[in-house]
Formats: sequence, structure tokens, C-alpha cells
Amino acid sequence: MSSNKGVQDPDAPRVDLAEVLAAKAQTLDENRPEAVAKRAVTGHQTIRQNIGQLIDPGSFQEYGQLAEPAFKNLQGPADGLVMGTGTVSGFRVGFMGYDYTVHAGTQSIINHAKADRFLQVVETLRLPLVLWADGGGWRPYENNINSRDYEETFAMMARLSGLVPTVGVVSGRCFAGNANLAGLCDTLIATAKAAMGMGGPPLVEAALGLTLTPEELGPAEMHEACGAIDVLVTDEQEAIDCVKRYLEYFRDAGGQPGPDPDTSVLRNVVPENPRRAYDVRKVIEGIADQGSVLELRPKFARSVVTALAKVQGTPVGVLANQPMFLAGAIDSPASDKLARFIQLCDAHDIPMLYLCDTPGLMVGPEAEATALVRHSSRILNAAINATTPFMTVILRKAYGLGQYMMGALPLRPALLVGWPTAEFGAMGFEGAVKITHKKELEAIADKKTRLARERELADELRAHNTALGLAGRYELDDVIDPADTRETVIRFLVSLPPLAPRTGRKRTIDNW
Amino acid sequence: MFREIRSVVTGTVYQIEVTAGDQVKLGDDLVIVESMKMEIPVVAEAGGTVIEVRCNEGDSVIEEQVLLIIDSD
Repeated sequence: MSSNKGVQDPDAPRVDLAEVLAAKAQTLDENRPEAVAKRAVTGHQTIRQNIGQLIDPGSFQEYGQLAEPAFKNLQGPADGLVMGTGTVSGFRVGFMGYDYTVHAGTQSIINHAKADRFLQVVETLRLPLVLWADGGGWRPYENNINSRDYEETFAMMARLSGLVPTVGVVSGRCFAGNANLAGLCDTLIATAKAAMGMGGPPLVEAALGLTLTPEELGPAEMHEACGAIDVLVTDEQEAIDCVKRYLEYFRDAGGQPGPDPDTSVLRNVVPENPRRAYDVRKVIEGIADQGSVLELRPKFARSVVTALAKVQGTPVGVLANQPMFLAGAIDSPASDKLARFIQLCDAHDIPMLYLCDTPGLMVGPEAEATALVRHSSRILNAAINATTPFMTVILRKAYGLGQYMMGALPLRPALLVGWPTAEFGAMGFEGAVKITHKKELEAIADKKTRLARERELADELRAHNTALGLAGRYELDDVIDPADTRETVIRFLVSLPPLAPRTGRKRTIDNW
Repeated sequence: MFREIRSVVTGTVYQIEVTAGDQVKLGDDLVIVESMKMEIPVVAEAGGTVIEVRCNEGDSVIEEQVLLIIDSD
């Protein structure tokens, strides 16, 4: 401080302001080189670097930058939680991120108070929330301080379900309370370095006698396979890009149209041989704007694909069977994946597109032992109680209850169309004729002849249940040229009424 | 560059479309694996020459099992 009062620079901050500016400066990375360097050792950015890349410059109104740990012997800029309002590509958000450089991103008395206050602001202003969740859960150093354990953070986070879009990022170690907040997000993005779990290594060692590193306990690939995370990315930069992309699906409809895909490929995606599988993602890519498809939970329940996409700039939620896995049959994990995705789209008014090619629900004692009776019911419950419009395209197989759940007529699609390859049945035709023509088939001694007759009967049944046959009985609104599917989806989107203004929650979203 | 071509699913090798020495191009069907009464094509992720076929028709294979080796262009 200058003591030379006579020549004081009139623009220099007065002592009272200077004190505040100095306190704020202490929280910034440029004045914490050791903390920044330590974070860089594990290949991570600091939370403020991540904010700098995610939030539009100059738009971040931080809350609680000057907060300090309740335990006065601890150092901790902003008490390890950086939060505020801002914009991402012009889209308003609330951001809350634990600072791993402050006591491993742990949750403390003061930062819980901060989180509680900020989540209340987020709820009141209905701000989409971005949560950077890395951290070690409760900060044990603060156990000695008299406090009432009444943080509302987890309850308030749960209250946001369905009210505003919530997206979490995990880019390092994230355990206990921090993981709980991650699990409460609609959608969770993790980097390859993520290690996550509800109970951290010390608890595992105490309870089970197992000594594990965080990365052994909850590695990112495991969470991708079991469906705990929605998108796995390489690093924090990709995670930030993914958050930006994700938020775009929740803007009002009528965004910038993306480049048209090559729709001509759609005529040949479904092979002529009805037993031949194909990758349904090619169908999605032939409908959506180029580069607009974000698949959620790609390695989990792979017999269905759930993806956010855009068609001429308008967000669409795509639900598709994937014939490459389980022939596109719907098992318990697939049921859960579809049901949650329907709720996500419905809660945030994203129109849906079903692409149906399923032999039905998965069969067999193993499938039943997973409580398929209950899990599969979730799809119908979610779908029939959703009010967001959807349309359905029958690509090929539409069999049994599986197809019923994939946007069939009783679910009241806004539009139901079929490709020329569409075929319908209460069950597979081969299976059906084995029952209906049991005696006739059993009477044929020669196996080859019997198989030939079986196929002949199945083909007769198939011929009756083609797309044209169904259109004739008016069970389909239209049969379309596959190459015209994108145009059909555009016409469906154009037919939708304008969205009613939202003042509250429409529904909650199941976290599983 | 040698590439291992793996089965995407657990199933039975239904048909092998190539033999060692064949030239293949991107997207060609190499092996058809049967699973859940469906034929799942295992396609070339790049063009090249088939070096070795490591399965026989009728073999049971598991997901991620190497079915053949390609020397890609």
C-alpha cells in the first residue's frame, strides 16, 4: 500500500476495495501456481481453467468466491467449490464445480452451505445446471467442528430432476457425496481418467478388507459398460465440448439447420436377407443432421440405441433397436435404457423418433430371472405417460410386445410409417407356424422337407403382414421410401404445436 | 499394418466369406456370425489383404474373439 497520500493515483483502488480485490485474487489460478502444477501432474486442468473454456468470457457471475473453510486452520480458496451463473454459447446455465486442488474436492460445512444456496438459485431461476463433480466426499478434517449435519445439497439436487436439464462431468476421482451428486444428474459425462464410486477405498478396506486404488474400484470403462455414465470421452477438453453439444439439445427448437446427411444410403441399409443384421446407427446418421448425433450409454444394453440428434436444427430423441446385438431383442437393461431416455425427452419436451426392428422381448430363463416382467413394463409406463409427441418408423421386424413398446399405434404416435421391409406379427413367423401347423409339420419325416415347408408357411404369413398388407388394413399411416425418412421426420416436426411456456416441472426423470 | 478382426457378438461362425490371400476393401463382409437366429456380419474396417483366418464354420466364438488377421493398406 502506498502511504504517500499527496500523490495518490486517482484511479487506484481505495484501501477498502483493494483489500477485496486482493482476497479475490488469492482464489485465482495465477496466484496458486503450486496447486495448478499439482493438478497438471495427473494431466488435469483446474476447475477455473475448465470454467474458462466452458463459460462465455465475461458472463460468469461467481457466487461465494470469498468463502473460506469453517475450520480456520485450513486453507481453501472459495472453500473448494466454484459456482455461478453464466452462459455457454449464449445459453444461460448454472455452473457448480468442486475444486480438486482444495482438499481433494471434498464437501465441507461452508461449501455445502454454498451449494445449498446456489441450488436454490438454480431452482428459482430454472437454470440448466452443469456440475463438475470430482471430489472425495465429506471432508473429514471438519469432523471436529460443532455443526448440525443438515446440508440439503443432495435433496436440492434431486429436486431439480425434470425441472431443468442437469449434466454432470467426472474427470478424476469422484466418491461418496460427490458421486451422489453425479448420480443425480440427468446425464453424466466422464473422461478416461474418471474413477467413481459411492464408497471410496478407505470404506471398502474397512468393510471388506480389500485394498484397492480408486481407479481399480470404479474405472471409467466399467461405468460405461454398466450404464452408470452416459458418455465416455478422452479428456477434459472433450468433456467441455460434449457439455456444449449436450446443452444445445435443450435450447428451444428452431436452431441452425445442420448439413444434410446422405439419405440415399437408407435404401440399402436393411439387407434383403431378413436374417442379416445391420448397424442401426447408419439409419440414424442417414436421418439426422451431419455430426449431430450424441449416443447415450452406447456400451450398455447394446440391443437398443438411445441418441440425441438434430433434424434441420431441431432436437430429436432417437430410440432404436440394434439388430447387431441380441437381434434387437429387448432385455431388462434395454428396457431401463429406453424408459429413462423417454423420461429425459419428455421432461424436457424433446420430440421422439422410434426406429423399430425387434423380434420382441428377450426370452429364456436367464432373461426372466432379471425381473424382465417388471423392467420391460417400465418402457410402457414411461411411454404412455409421456405427453411429448413422437413418431415411429418400422424398419423391419415389429414383433410381439417388443414392437408394441417401440411406439406402436396404441401408444398414439403422431405419425406411424413403415419401410417397405416392415413385417409385423404377434410373434416371429417361423415360431408361429411351428405352433399353428404343429401336426402337419411333425408328420413330415424328412428334416429338410419339413424345414422347407416350415419356411414356406412362414413366408405365406410374412406376405400377409408386409408393409403394404398393413397399409391396406390401415394399420400404418404411410409406407415410405427409406431415402425419404429424413423428409418424413421434418414433416412430423413441422406438424407439432408450439411448446407451451414452462413454469414448473412436468415430470421427474428416473436416475436409472 | 496387421489388424485383428474381432467378433462383435458371442455366437457361431455361420459363414466365412474370405480365405487367406484375398484382397478386401472397406466394408466388405468377412465372416458372418450367427447369434439369436440373426446373421451378424463382421466387416472390414479397412481395405487390405487377409493374412490368416482363425476360425472355422460352425465354431462357437465369443465377443471380441479374433476371427481373422488383415494386413491393411
